[in-house]
Amino acid sequence: MTDSEQHPYVEWIASEARRPVLMDPGARDRIMAAVRAEPVPSPAPAWRRFLQPRVFHMSPAASTLLAAGLVGIGVLTGVVTTNRGGHTAEHPRGVAVLPSQPPVSDTLVKFVFVAPQAQNVSLVGDFNEWDLAKTPMIRSGESGLWTVVLPLSAGRHLYAFVVDGSSWVQDPSAPIAPDDGFGHANSVKLVVRGSSS
Amino acid sequence: MSRSPVQSRSTVPVRRRLIARLVGATAVLLLLALPLRAQEPEQDRMAKLDPKTRQSVELLVDSAMAEGLPTQPLRSIAYLGIARKAGSQQIVAAVHRKLNALRAARSVLGRVDTLELDAASSVILAGAKPSQLETFKTPQRGRSDLRAFAVWADLIMRGVPGEDASSAISRLWEDGADDATFVSLWNNVQSDILRGLNPGTALQNRVREAPGRPPTTKGPQTPEGQENARSE
Amino acid sequence: MSDDAADVQRVLAGDVEAYAALVDRYYDRCARFAIRMLGNRDDAEDALQATFLRAYRALNRYQERDRFSAWLYRILVNQCRSVAARRAHRERVFVREEALLLNAPDRSSVWTGEDEEFVQRVLNELEPLLREAFLLKHIEEMSYEEMSALTGVGVSALKMRVKRACDRLRERWERIQHD
Repeated sequence: MTDSEQHPYVEWIASEARRPVLMDPGARDRIMAAVRAEPVPSPAPAWRRFLQPRVFHMSPAASTLLAAGLVGIGVLTGVVTTNRGGHTAEHPRGVAVLPSQPPVSDTLVKFVFVAPQAQNVSLVGDFNEWDLAKTPMIRSGESGLWTVVLPLSAGRHLYAFVVDGSSWVQDPSAPIAPDDGFGHANSVKLVVRGSSS
Repeated sequence: MSRSPVQSRSTVPVRRRLIARLVGATAVLLLLALPLRAQEPEQDRMAKLDPKTRQSVELLVDSAMAEGLPTQPLRSIAYLGIARKAGSQQIVAAVHRKLNALRAARSVLGRVDTLELDAASSVILAGAKPSQLETFKTPQRGRSDLRAFAVWADLIMRGVPGEDASSAISRLWEDGADDATFVSLWNNVQSDILRGLNPGTALQNRVREAPGRPPTTKGPQTPEGQENARSE
Repeated sequence: MSDDAADVQRVLAGDVEAYAALVDRYYDRCARFAIRMLGNRDDAEDALQATFLRAYRALNRYQERDRFSAWLYRILVNQCRSVAARRAHRERVFVREEALLLNAPDRSSVWTGEDEEFVQRVLNELEPLLREAFLLKHIEEMSYEEMSALTGVGVSALKMRVKRACDRLRERWERIQHD
């Protein structure tokens, strides 16, 4: 610090200037009123999304290629599908291309659905824009048990299971949410930080 | 490419060459695959609607924004409609319905957070009257009514008469019931209904069992307090 | 995730009211800077309104690894500059009245300790860039690195500005002493 900066007069000016100021109390309300009239800020533009953690869906062939290229590319993390006994997966699988740790505030939630006759089951909900392709469930063995684990923010989530691409089914173990306006009632999942039910 | 007979039978060197070629091609595939199948941004998902429908939905979302109501539940309904391959009119009607329910919930509950408003609007959509939300008007520190609302909507959907569901849930809430109490009530009523019991009856039975206010351990209860604990 | 980042996420998810939490958290601090920088409440309010509105529009460009306050301040500093530029244009038209005000006699040669207007007048005498640097360093108490990231100006140039601002203030004090 220079001599001037330590001068008592300068220090006094600075300390006085640090005092809080009185503003018109209505000013904040005017800001929020203006903000409410704005469109909701849209998510980041396309080129920026490459910089953010993503989950990508790729064909089994592509994901095998990525796995093979693991050494060269370096930043690949996450789950790669394995084909057991030559049986190819029905759905594209998610491969995390960039580190995609869930935000610290999200809780990992497991969804379970019993459907022995199903060929494939998807989880759809307000957390994945009800997109059938985003969260395929994984069948374990012969029991007909389908599961998937994904991070959900704390709060209330609506969801359903879609069997074989067309049958929308509620979760029998969850509370029912009212008719969505399309003739079907969905299920409710409440997520409390650290746990869910 | 000439190979010795031994090499041609062995798959290892061939696989190594193949992998080497694939590694080279990986970068190209990566670039091709990413934009095509990357997680769709919300804007693109809305683009699945025809322009007129999309405009109607966006207008409803704008109204919500102007009124300080949550917009994500409205968009979520639009996405759901897209996934269900619903018609344009049906989608717009569903979004409008949700907006009105949010408005109704807001008119009773006042300025509460998004999740609460969304959950309360669901109760209204299930068939509850907005006035029945009065019990939940006073915010209570450390208590969330999301569970109560979820159970309430569910009971109505399962066939419990609206008045019965409303008074049971409100009373439990007023008595200080916690999440566990509501969960337990829901589990019991649900299984009773599945066993064939009339939904209204199932609820009445189980509400009697639900713990009311925890008994005061310090000092005697007032005569009024004791009376309330005994009555149903 | 910090409170700021969490609130930003909520807003981007559609919860407009979550933005009120950010406004509440930063309004007072920003207001203090704006007033000290611009010297009057009306201009400060304009700058603040513009700042929070622009920040809202640009929320999708905020990345969690940045400190929200630094990100917000970059917008605030720019808005204050814009408002000052507009005012300078206005002042050229009404220069006579403004000159009368600026030449008002020095309120006090004694340290009153409570005289906000006096301190403001003293600050007003500093050239804008010097004032800005002085405020960021000694009122907002930022590091030179933060200031550099915020203003786009190099650290040594900023140190020079702060030094010159303090020199001016000290010269002013010495002038008062010798009057």
